[in-house]
Amino acid sequence: MNHSINRVVVVGGGTAGWLSAGIIAAEHYSSQNDFELYLIESPDIPTIGVGEGTWPSMRSTLKKMGISETDFFRECSASFKQGTQFYNWTYGKGETYSHPFTAPHHFNDKNLAPHWQTIREETPFADAVCPQMPLINNQLAPKDITTPEYAFNVNYGYHLDAGKFAELLRKHCVKQLGVKHISANMTAINSTEEGDIQSIETDSSGTIEGDLFIDCSGTRALLIGEHFKIPTLSKKKYLFNDSALAAQVAYETAEDPIQSCTLSTAQSAGWIWDIGLPTRRGIGHVYSSQYNSEENARAELLAYIKDTAGEKAAEKASIRKITFDPGHREKFWHKNCVAIGMSAGFIEPLEASALVLVELSAAMVAEQLPANRKIMDIVAKRFNEKFSYRWNRIIDFIKLHYILSKRADTAYWVDNCRADSVPESLQELIDIWHYQVPWHRDCYHIDEMFPSASFQYVLYGMDFKTQMNPMSKRTDRQAGMQAQAMFVENSKIAQRLAASMPTNRELINKIYKYGLQKI
Amino acid sequence: MSNYVVLSPETHHDTRVLTEPGKTQADVVQFTMTHPLEFRNIQACYPIFFSKSRDTGEFFPLALFGFEQGENLFIDQFQWHASYIPMMIERQPFLIGYQKTADDTTNPVVSIDTNSPKVSDSEGQLLFEANQPTDYMKGIMSKLEALHHGHEHNKGFISAITENDLLEPFTLEITLNNGTTNQLMGFYTINEHRLLELGGDTLSEFNQKGYLQPIYMAVASYARIKDLIDKKNALSK
Repeated sequence: MNHSINRVVVVGGGTAGWLSAGIIAAEHYSSQNDFELYLIESPDIPTIGVGEGTWPSMRSTLKKMGISETDFFRECSASFKQGTQFYNWTYGKGETYSHPFTAPHHFNDKNLAPHWQTIREETPFADAVCPQMPLINNQLAPKDITTPEYAFNVNYGYHLDAGKFAELLRKHCVKQLGVKHISANMTAINSTEEGDIQSIETDSSGTIEGDLFIDCSGTRALLIGEHFKIPTLSKKKYLFNDSALAAQVAYETAEDPIQSCTLSTAQSAGWIWDIGLPTRRGIGHVYSSQYNSEENARAELLAYIKDTAGEKAAEKASIRKITFDPGHREKFWHKNCVAIGMSAGFIEPLEASALVLVELSAAMVAEQLPANRKIMDIVAKRFNEKFSYRWNRIIDFIKLHYILSKRADTAYWVDNCRADSVPESLQELIDIWHYQVPWHRDCYHIDEMFPSASFQYVLYGMDFKTQMNPMSKRTDRQAGMQAQAMFVENSKIAQRLAASMPTNRELINKIYKYGLQKI
Repeated sequence: MSNYVVLSPETHHDTRVLTEPGKTQADVVQFTMTHPLEFRNIQACYPIFFSKSRDTGEFFPLALFGFEQGENLFIDQFQWHASYIPMMIERQPFLIGYQKTADDTTNPVVSIDTNSPKVSDSEGQLLFEANQPTDYMKGIMSKLEALHHGHEHNKGFISAITENDLLEPFTLEITLNNGTTNQLMGFYTINEHRLLELGGDTLSEFNQKGYLQPIYMAVASYARIKDLIDKKNALSK
């Protein structure tokens, strides 16, 4: 029980497998030590390619792995994602709001949200506090060709082609990070007396021994589910969506603008995502099978494609169906096995939490890689606590979008606001925010997934009313004048950025041609 | 705005160019682009730094003349006081391009910026006489060709130094005798630590390709910053 942990075995390729391998190997691989990382990938099972949107965290993840951002853009059909734009979520009457990645102006030391309450009729919240908005509204880039790799003028993550991304990661892991790629099917699992996984039998590459096994086998969950029988906790009572119809849609011309955000448009019983890559758009409808038929969901999706890309595009679209049971494992790290990716859990893609959870999980494994088997159980316990907490925060944050909606046109929207469908932790926050605006101390942890800025964008984007305490000094006249000056300053910065940034397409074409500089 | 048109004796037989550097507003610039083949001459007079093209993000070397936009400390009373004038200043108001002909040979094509303050109808050097280029124009032609050659060489030089991480950003803050401060930002210099770490193979390759000497020329040129500060101090007395 006291042997050291030198050999990590990742089971499963795809983005989760290769991203985990890259993050862990980048931290530990060296010609000077005994660390080894194997990745077993079945040549027969296609990857599902989940997650075409990332958080800004992906920039530092890629940088840390030593991947050039220029190569990433050139090889993964990547584009810039500056946040999410929501349509029809609040009233279903053509209204829109944004959740940009850049925090409100002066967010560290000044909370502008209380002061915005006085101008809420004139200016949408995000436009008043975030300099990123004109860029988002005009399909402009978050940087220009002189900005170094991974640096930015305003914060951004990516949209990407998941298949191409896994391929780039594979090449980089094998060539630069010493990852040993085994293309074989798993046939059996051998256990130690204590119940750990000792090794994995394969059909064509013999027995692969390991000290720590990472289950990236997707929904099949070969290790954590099939072998260890760790149950999944269903979250369907909070998040109703369990089906998706995904399509790829061509641009009309090679010059069509590339959107700066994921577009999310609410439907009768779900919502449609619209992700712009340089090469195509990824458009899909995620819905609840309990409230919508596949036939109707398909009709809504085709209507959206027709509206935004034309009749021809709608006729040509080939649609793939995905079903899922929203939820996550009761625990993610059991014995000497950690589940990362869809083996750990899956919920609807609103706010694109899939890839960021892979990044966070792999980063924690990398950072806390137990020195020996003895302390692994402690690390596992802490890992499980942290990620159970994170899944709950993601569920709260996604659910927030539904309970703020004032739509009552279908049972789906009405039922989403039923008290028994709202997690208690979320209901408490809402109760508080009726009387005070979200601020730094609303978050418990330093590495919280959603900062209070995100809650502000969604709450005030969706017309939530906070009844300010009239006794509060925060709203006095002097503070109000200071806030006014900041609104003006923000608007000036926004105008300057909009005048100087290239369009997404211009910048991406320049990156293809000239590359971004490292400094 | 510049307006470049193809140069021809038919159109430009009466056109003249003011050749003295510093005489017109065209030369009142903070820096000009240079290339490694003239670094030896540049470093005798000017600091050599690097900057990024606004259009492509690619690095280019430059000779620095001042601490702020539109400041050229080498010009006084419409005269440029330095023993060497950078080629990119001397070539003005001309540009050279190359055209591929049907039989696959390349022909140089010279253009002139008719909006340049250096272009005149009454003063300066004639470009053509009796439909033939004047000696001045012949001199410009050979300078333009040398410049083209220099810029081609520069492409390999820039790739070599960026691939080896030899550039680093820097900020220079100078305080003048009268107490005012000037900040120079957005430029890049040779990273001397990285330079000293280069291995034998790289050094040998750099040497063969003519990259090693200009790197050290650029390093040596930093001593010229003091000349610029002295000039600025003399001005702000």
